[in-house]
Amino acid sequence: MGSLEGILTGFQVAFSVEGVLFVLIGVFVGTFIGMLPGLGPISAIAVMIPVTFGMDPTPALVMMAGVYYGAVFGGSTSSILLNAPGISGTVATSFDGYPMAQQGKAGKALAIAAISSFIGGTISVLLLMMLAPMLSSVAISFGPPAYFALMFLGLTAITSLSEGSTSKALISAVVGFMVVTIGIDAQTGTQRFTFGNANLLEGIDFLVIALGLFALAEVCTLIIKRKDLSLDNTHKLGSLKITKQEAKEMSGPVTRQSFMGFVLGVLPGAGATIASFIGYITEKRIAKKPDEFGKGSVRGLAAPEAANNAATSGAFVPLLSLGIPGSGTTAVLLGAFLVLGVQPGPLLMTDRPEIFWGIIASMYIGNVFLLILNLPLIPYISKILKIPRPLLISLVIMFSIIGVYAISFSTFDLYMLLLFGVVGFLMRLFSFPAPPFILAFILGGMMEQSFRQSLTISNGNYMIFVKEPISLTLLLIGLLSFAFPIIGHLRKRKG
Amino acid sequence: MLKTLNQKVSLVLLAIAAGYLLLSYQLPSYPYAIVDADVLPKGLGYLLVILVIALFFTKDSETEEQKARRNIPKKDILALLAVFAFVFFYIFLLEILGFVLTTALFIFFCSWFLGYKKHLTNIIVAVLFPLFMYFTFTEFLQISLPQGILPF
Repeated sequence: MGSLEGILTGFQVAFSVEGVLFVLIGVFVGTFIGMLPGLGPISAIAVMIPVTFGMDPTPALVMMAGVYYGAVFGGSTSSILLNAPGISGTVATSFDGYPMAQQGKAGKALAIAAISSFIGGTISVLLLMMLAPMLSSVAISFGPPAYFALMFLGLTAITSLSEGSTSKALISAVVGFMVVTIGIDAQTGTQRFTFGNANLLEGIDFLVIALGLFALAEVCTLIIKRKDLSLDNTHKLGSLKITKQEAKEMSGPVTRQSFMGFVLGVLPGAGATIASFIGYITEKRIAKKPDEFGKGSVRGLAAPEAANNAATSGAFVPLLSLGIPGSGTTAVLLGAFLVLGVQPGPLLMTDRPEIFWGIIASMYIGNVFLLILNLPLIPYISKILKIPRPLLISLVIMFSIIGVYAISFSTFDLYMLLLFGVVGFLMRLFSFPAPPFILAFILGGMMEQSFRQSLTISNGNYMIFVKEPISLTLLLIGLLSFAFPIIGHLRKRKG
Repeated sequence: MLKTLNQKVSLVLLAIAAGYLLLSYQLPSYPYAIVDADVLPKGLGYLLVILVIALFFTKDSETEEQKARRNIPKKDILALLAVFAFVFFYIFLLEILGFVLTTALFIFFCSWFLGYKKHLTNIIVAVLFPLFMYFTFTEFLQISLPQGILPF
C-alpha cells in the first residue's frame, strides 16, 4: 500500500463516526486529567488503559493518543490559573501565563495558550506525517544490534537529560531494568526472581509500575500539600479576545517554536518539558524587550505552549516508526499499544496502515476539538480545579486500583501497586527521577531480547554491536550523551 | 563515616544490588543457550554496584527545594501512613465485600479523614462513583469487577 493510499485510509478512520467520537472522548478526558494539578499525561494514559480493553485497537489507540496530547494541552490551564502546573511540560507556561492572570487577563492568557498550542500541534502533525513514513522505511532494515543500540540511545538520552544528578537517573534506569527481569525468561524459560510465586511468573505488569510510580506517588505529594493550595484565589477570567497587535507578536515565536519543538520531540529523551524550556529561553534571548518576559509577556506564553504541543506530536515519530519511546510518557503509551496487541515499529505502517495513519490523521481533528473545547468552554472546565483535594485523592486512588485490577484480576498486583507507590514516593523524596525507571522497564524486555538475539547471531561475539555502522554510531552517541553532564560537572568543580 | 545523605542512600542501594546479584548467581543454567538467562541480571547487578559507588562519592547536588521536600511534618507522615492503611484495607476487602461496597467505604472515610467536611456531598460521591464505575466496567466494557456480597 502506498503512502497516499495509507493517508486516505487514515483520514477515513479519523473521520468515521467512531473515530471522531473517540478522539473527542480522548482529548476531553486528557484535558480534564491534565488540568488536575500533579496528574500528567502518564497518569492520564495509565488510568485510561483499562477502558480500552475489549475495544477495537484502532479507535482505542486514536483515543489514547488524544488523551496524551489533550493532557499536555490541559496542563497549561492550571499553570495559568493557579501557577500550579499539572505537568512538567507546562512549567514554562506559568512563567508568563500566571502573571498575566494576576493582571486580570486570565481569559486572554488561556486564549493565547490555546491558539499557540493549536498551531504548534497542527504544524507538527504535518511534519509527523512526512517524517514518520520516511523513518519507517529506513528502520525496516534494522537488525537486532541496531535495535539494541537504538534503545540504548533512548535510555541514555533520557537519563542524561533528567533533572538533577546523572548517577541517580542512571540508578533509576538500572533498577527499572532489574524489575523487568522478574518472571519467566522468554528465551530459555528459566524462572527469574519469582521466589516460586505464581503471580510473578509473567512479571510485573507495566500498569502497576506506571500507576504506582506516578499516580500514587503523586497522591502522596497531594496528601502532604492538601492544605497548601487554596483555590479561592482563582482570578477573574476577563475577555478571551486577542488584539491584532498581540496576534502579530505571537506569530514569530509560535512558528519558530512549532518547528523547534517538533525536532526536540523527535529526539530521544527531550520531549515536551525540555522543548518548552528551550522555546522560552530562545525567545527571551532573541526578543527585543527581554525584560518583559516573566511579567506577562505574550511571546513568553506563546513560545512554550507552541513548543510543548509540537514536541508531543514529534514524540510520535520514534514511537510509531521505530516502536521505541523516547520519554516516560511515550513509554506508557507504548504499553497501551502492547496491551491492545499492536506492536508499533517499522512494520506498522505497512501491516496496520489504518492504525498508523488513523492516529496521525486523527490528530488534526483532535487539535481542532481541543481548540473548541478550550476556547469557549474554558471557564466551565476550569471549575474542575475546585475539586476538593481530599476527594480528589480518594478518587485517584480508586482509579489506580480499578486500572490494575481490571488488567490482572488479582489482589496480589494491587499490593504490588501499593508497594510501587511507596517506592515512587521515596524516589521523589530522594530526588531519583522516575521517567528513566519507567522507560527502562518498558524497553528492558525488548532490549534484552535484541541483545541476546544479536549475540546468538554472532555466536556470542560482542563485536557484532560495533561492526555495523548504524549500531556503532548510535551506541557512540548514547555514550557521548553522558559526556556532556560529566564535562559540565568537572567545569563547575574547577570554577 | 556516613556523613552525607548520598552515602546513606548508597548503602541501601548497595544492599539491593548485592541481594540481586546473589539471586542472579543462583539462577539455573540452560545448556543450549548462547546467552543464558543469567547474563543480563549479572551485568545489571554489577552496573548498579558501580553506579552506587559513584553515588557514594558524589556530593549532594540537590536544590533547596528538593531538600525541603523531605521536611515532612510529623502530622503529615501520620496522615500518609493512615491513607496507606486505608488503601491496604481497601485491597484486602475488595474481593470479600465487593467493589461497590469497599470503594464507597474507602472514598467516604478517606476523604473524611483527609479533612473533607461536606458530608452529604461526600456520601453522594462515595455512592454514585463506585456504582457508575461498576456498571460501566461490567456492562459496557465487559470487564467483571468483584461483586462481593451485593446482589448485583
